[in-house]
Amino acid sequence: MLTRRNAVNVLMGIELILNSANLNLVAFSRYGTGNLQGQLFAVFVVVIAAAEVAVALAIVLTLYRLRRTPNLDEADFLRG
Amino acid sequence: MQEVLRSLNRFWPEVVLTVGLLVVVLVDTIRVRGRDVANWLLTMATLAAAFVLTVRLGTQSTGLFEGMLALDPMGIFFKLLLIGSSLLVVGAFRFEGSRELRGLGQGEFYALMLAVTFSNLLLAAANDLAMLYLALEMVSITSYVMVAYLKGDRLSNEASLKYILFGAVSTGAMLYGLSLLYGMTGSTSLPVIRQVLAAGLTDANRLTVYVVALFVFAGFGFKTASVPFHFWCPDVYQGAPTPVTAFLSVAPKAAGFAIMLRFFFGGMAVEGTGAWDLAGTIDWPHVLMLVSVLTMTVGNVAALTQTNMKRLLAYSSIAHAGYIMMGVVALSENGARGMMVYLLAYVFMNLGAFLVVTLVHNQDGTFDLRDYPGLSRRAPLLTVAMAIFLLSLMGIPPLVGFMGKLYVFAAIIEKGSSYWWFAVVGAVNAAIAAFYYARILKTMIIDAGNEEKPAFRLPLADSAWIVLLILGNVVPLFLWRYVETLTRASLSLYAGR
Repeated sequence: MLTRRNAVNVLMGIELILNSANLNLVAFSRYGTGNLQGQLFAVFVVVIAAAEVAVALAIVLTLYRLRRTPNLDEADFLRG
Repeated sequence: MQEVLRSLNRFWPEVVLTVGLLVVVLVDTIRVRGRDVANWLLTMATLAAAFVLTVRLGTQSTGLFEGMLALDPMGIFFKLLLIGSSLLVVGAFRFEGSRELRGLGQGEFYALMLAVTFSNLLLAAANDLAMLYLALEMVSITSYVMVAYLKGDRLSNEASLKYILFGAVSTGAMLYGLSLLYGMTGSTSLPVIRQVLAAGLTDANRLTVYVVALFVFAGFGFKTASVPFHFWCPDVYQGAPTPVTAFLSVAPKAAGFAIMLRFFFGGMAVEGTGAWDLAGTIDWPHVLMLVSVLTMTVGNVAALTQTNMKRLLAYSSIAHAGYIMMGVVALSENGARGMMVYLLAYVFMNLGAFLVVTLVHNQDGTFDLRDYPGLSRRAPLLTVAMAIFLLSLMGIPPLVGFMGKLYVFAAIIEKGSSYWWFAVVGAVNAAIAAFYYARILKTMIIDAGNEEKPAFRLPLADSAWIVLLILGNVVPLFLWRYVETLTRASLSLYAGR
């Protein structure tokens, strides 16, 4: 995720982070704790991830419309 | 069913906000003249109703929805603070006359405001890891949209892009920490987690707690803009529309501190005493102390050289997060109380400063400090107001900002002599901050220039809101006995399930 320039690839990296946590939650719920709280939590995480990516893609689309590029390192007006 | 009905009965503020949000969205689809005014009135009425309903909750302490949310005096205090700051932002930062927001949909803005207020309330009350994460993400996602509000503006777009990427990574790291915490303790409920931690840990688990705490702090640090999770803050504050900046600098930060208190007090500390023994071998006070010192120092030093007012106030708000965190370091009742007083003062002083910046932009179209000379002659009321807000931010005695600093510093000093160096660092930082705040005043009052610019027209409504915010910085001092009892009464956290 850190080495990618393209915004869409970065978003895929973020999905991987969330999925790693989801795997943890489901696995702990199944093999560790013996309750369903973790699996419920995972369902919420999936929904939130979808919402987050929807907003992020909308913002990336706007970036593309304004600058004709999906690359993050070209968005550098704000600094200092 | 019984539980849901019982909880709903104590959930009216949030219900009212949701209904208000839906009505605003509906009204916004009707193409008639005057719908913007109607929406503004609806939003104000909804927020006011939620405020009154929250006041009427009194001082109960109970769990809602099977312990997903906690209803307790501390939560109610933060809810009032959060609804109040939304009310001030919607009221004081008006669309009419705004250079940034002209021609953009008002209804959507108000709908987003109500949505983020609702999620803030959930965040301040979250008593379960799933609820905590859900509320945090709701606040964040709504904030991303609000930052991107100026669709055709490159800065707004870039700000929102940086915000969402940084936010997604921080909250992702936090979620990973939460999942480990669940695996260790077998529950997502904060009080249960505390019980399990209190029952003792094996050595392997101590290391896990260390990692967990580090990850979880990423989320809190992001929400409160603390070092090293502050990098988004200056860019986002500069690029976002000023009303959104003002809102982000106050409400989500307050909600972030509320949940930080709840997580550390409610989940990680020994009940009642506030001792840090549960969180493994980490020396918590010193870790947080380091974060706090770095936060205030980085914020203040970076603010010294800024000329863009929004960016300057962004760094100043990072520094203030450092001061507020002193209350978490103390982790005592007085520390929590200091945070509440500080946040109360911070709402009025910071919103005030941003309102002055907005009004100057409405008139002159500039956020640059170098365009500020001569303002004292062109707009005396604004200059007096800015002086009061900045002196309050500095922490000069007769204003509420001073009371905030007094309470957090006192909470640190009473922890004993090993904490005194920390208070000294805080005081040195306050002195550095005084320099750049005073520089703004000097530019506005003493520097010559801009004589040829047209006279400053300040609409009556804007003057009224400015006066109201000035009063907010002064009046609490006369009612201090009341503030004192209120914050003292708000100290208890719901500890059950």
